[in-house]
Amino acid sequence: MTARPPDDPLDDLDREIMGRPDDPLDDLDREILERIGRFDPPPADLDERVLFALALDDLEIEVARLTAEQFTGSGARASERTRTITFGADSRTVMITVVERDDNLVRIDGWLAPGGPLRVELRFPEPDPARTVTADEAGRFVFDEVPHGLAQLLVHGPDAEAARVVTPSLLL
Amino acid sequence: MSTDADLGTLLERARSGDRNSLRELIRALDPVLWRVARGQGLTAEDAADVVQTAWLELLRRLHEIRTPRAVTAWLITTTRREAWHRQQRARRDLADGSAVLDAAVDPGPAPDESLLTDERDTVLWRHFARLSERCRHLLRIVAQVDRPDYAVIAEAFGMPHGSIGPTRGRCLAKLREMLLADPAWASP
Repeated sequence: MTARPPDDPLDDLDREIMGRPDDPLDDLDREILERIGRFDPPPADLDERVLFALALDDLEIEVARLTAEQFTGSGARASERTRTITFGADSRTVMITVVERDDNLVRIDGWLAPGGPLRVELRFPEPDPARTVTADEAGRFVFDEVPHGLAQLLVHGPDAEAARVVTPSLLL
Repeated sequence: MSTDADLGTLLERARSGDRNSLRELIRALDPVLWRVARGQGLTAEDAADVVQTAWLELLRRLHEIRTPRAVTAWLITTTRREAWHRQQRARRDLADGSAVLDAAVDPGPAPDESLLTDERDTVLWRHFARLSERCRHLLRIVAQVDRPDYAVIAEAFGMPHGSIGPTRGRCLAKLREMLLADPAWASP
């Protein structure tokens, strides 16, 4: 015989106000919820993508939001297919075009606005080291021979005090 | 979903740089954030993106947000706001917004959805589609978490905390009633 837990006065109040207690679930309830939960669960890699995006050593960041994404080309040659993604942050816009190469790698052509010779970093999940390039005066930068998979872009500010602009993780 | 006390411990440890605690926090809260984003009608890719954006914004404010209740509430509110903005933009970008508007209701799978190989699933979703929008949304969130934290879910709906349990009860009872009255459910 199990002892009943003491009545929680808040629960009693809830019952009075709502007229219905929070019934314990029986097997049918559980079956129903289990069936509902099976449809459209979060993607299996969502937790990993979030964790990857958050793996930053410095919290002085400005979050860049995806503001546009466009696919062009459907040619047989991989190099004819491109994907253009625009990220907007308060201080800067980052636009990248991801070009499929014929060797199953991609090239990223990027553009910062406003432009300037800023350091741009492309992060990958560990243990792959990040790559860093410097944009030209007009804000253009290129990462070539990039493998498919998760990546994240960081744009460093013009000086050490400025927050870095950080994108969510990209599935290249 | 974990209790507030568990989340509080995880939050404290995550704040001091413990990656495993951060991972646990993400695992506990992602299912609800995912449903909040999908409930606004976002595509899977956009929803995943919006959830990440909310976490990134949280990272910046981790030192301002003290309580676990505040952290979950803040993430849900941010996810909903980001999802809404993303949805508005998607509508604006489309010359004909009808496709997006159709998707925005999140009714569950269509009865002829090829994913539904199980006859009982087909019956369940047929009746599920007849529930109110609030019931559908609530049940789909509750179904994603093992031990629902009603405070968090209440936050997602903008409902008083104490009314979530009873609402869940009513929605489930309604669905049970329809299912038990359907011969296709009773005799598989």
